[in-house]
Amino acid sequence: MFLRRTATLFVALACASCSPWDYPVNIPFAATWQGSAIDCNSDGAALSDLRFYVSNVQLIDDQGQAHDVRFATEMDWQNDAVALIDLEDGSGACQNGTSGTSDHVLGVATARAYRGLRFTVGVPFRLNHENPLTAKPPLDDPDMHWHWRSGYKFLRAGVRTATDGFWMHAGSAGCDGTVGNIAACRFPNRIEVYLPDFEVGVDTVNVDLSALVADIDLDDDARSDCSSGPPEAACVAPFAALGIEFASGKQNGAQRVFSAE
Amino acid sequence: MRKTPILLAAVAAAALAAIWVSRDTSWDWQLPPDLPPPQVPADNPMNAAKVELGRWLFYDVRLSGNRTMACASCHIQALAFTDGVARSTGSTGEVHPRSSMSLVNVAYASRLTWANPLLDRLEDQALTPLLGDRPVEMGLKDGERRVAELLRSVPNYSELVRRAFPQDADPHSLLNAVRAIAAFVRTINSFEAPYDRYLAGEADALGAAAERGMELFFSERLECFHCHGGFNFTDSTTHVNSTVASVGYHNTGLYNLDESGAYPPDNTGLFDMTGERRDMGRFKAPSLRNIAVTAPYMHDGSVATLEEAIRNYERGGRLIDEGEYAGDGRLSPFKSEFVTGFELTDEERADLVAFLHSLTDESVLRDPQYSNPFVR
Repeated sequence: MFLRRTATLFVALACASCSPWDYPVNIPFAATWQGSAIDCNSDGAALSDLRFYVSNVQLIDDQGQAHDVRFATEMDWQNDAVALIDLEDGSGACQNGTSGTSDHVLGVATARAYRGLRFTVGVPFRLNHENPLTAKPPLDDPDMHWHWRSGYKFLRAGVRTATDGFWMHAGSAGCDGTVGNIAACRFPNRIEVYLPDFEVGVDTVNVDLSALVADIDLDDDARSDCSSGPPEAACVAPFAALGIEFASGKQNGAQRVFSAE
Repeated sequence: MRKTPILLAAVAAAALAAIWVSRDTSWDWQLPPDLPPPQVPADNPMNAAKVELGRWLFYDVRLSGNRTMACASCHIQALAFTDGVARSTGSTGEVHPRSSMSLVNVAYASRLTWANPLLDRLEDQALTPLLGDRPVEMGLKDGERRVAELLRSVPNYSELVRRAFPQDADPHSLLNAVRAIAAFVRTINSFEAPYDRYLAGEADALGAAAERGMELFFSERLECFHCHGGFNFTDSTTHVNSTVASVGYHNTGLYNLDESGAYPPDNTGLFDMTGERRDMGRFKAPSLRNIAVTAPYMHDGSVATLEEAIRNYERGGRLIDEGEYAGDGRLSPFKSEFVTGFELTDEERADLVAFLHSLTDESVLRDPQYSNPFVR
């Protein structure tokens, strides 16, 4: 119902501008743990946080060509450049969370035969260092901003177990300049996701937290959490799961956390 | 070849000019005659209503999530706007890795906090204690809505915020709240210590011991002034006549874990921001004004007294005999070249402490224009 209404809206927009942007795109996201759904109240391992910014969404056609998805902009949780996915509802183990949730990206593309999906978990550099107090939604969420590092937390993810748990905040670090005048960041830490087999309208993007923390001892309470500081040893394993070499802050392999289902 | 640097310098100067007003003539800073006023961001000019609003907000516990904590909770006037404990505790009980810094003369700081090269405006810095969650300090949740509501619903605030931001159609915002707090904090100036009176010509303002201590402080033998130099006793100082914003971060040999030069992992200083190995343990040299009332010392409050701090510098670095932080800071590969050690007699050390006490300005610790307006 929701999808159909959105599609009608976009058909109308497309005709008005005589452009072929008439292919409705709805990309749902879901949190999983070892193949099952996980939320803030799950037994065993529970979600303690899962929020992230999605940008640069592209669909891959059967020729291997990438085509941009234009974000719908009438909602508070996405603007023309970024969408906020929020899979926690502030209950249970999600103590630092919020009650609001948003579990999908909405937009349009040109009609083609598509077979794959590509996106970035992160905020584009040109928006990442703007003043969050004057930014447009969803970049106005203070929970998602690092005021002392300048820029947004691209990803907040956490798991709580009976004995301990782990959380990470991923975002650009080692930035040069001053707040309001950031020239560049040495550790961009943007997560590139490519799902070669993703059927739009059918598939969901699963976010597998068990893959994120696979190389972390969740019950070791002497272990630190990760907030993307360049010296933080606790960041190496989860960033590797996200396809990023933490020492450089750059992608050096395929991520293992996001999958098509 | 020569053109590029000049061009870059011109671009940098233009960028600076866009952010900072060169001279905000509308505000009376109440400074000694020879002292240049501090810089003020172009988008937050000073005015009396703004400073007054900022003073109320600075002391208002409603700016914390659970209404238990204000800015003033960790920045207590009688302690030169520090809090007297090694590490400060946030509104929800989390202990901060760092010690609360003095706010006196912070308008002149070229960079803010202990080791953040990105922060040069109080308006940006204030967002971390208000909204940050690692650790939670004031823990202001849903801040934009709550602060807007506060500014609207308290009659005094709604009156002040309209006068403070007359151009704004709707001035009730978190942005304007932090602008007001920043404007108030910029007014906290202190230049009436015995040392200042001595400089102004009052020959006996210091006393004999502090005068001897002053000679030691400014000597090449001790080198204190290399990092704690200038009118604000820190090398990270700027003002309206500055052509460059000087910034200094120094490893003073406080720690040397595993003989690798490492600092405790939750407090690595500039290294945490840059990831550059050479930045391990580098922290800003704080202003020494009012230093006698701001114990305990260093970024983590791990030095109890001024005498102990001086002894660490005499030694050329601190020795920690045992425990998880054991190590000889004197041998740290990252230590500043200015921390080489020196010898002092007991009398000389006492003289140096006496000089540091002469930097205490009793008036700023009591001045009613900085005091808690909720207490009548």
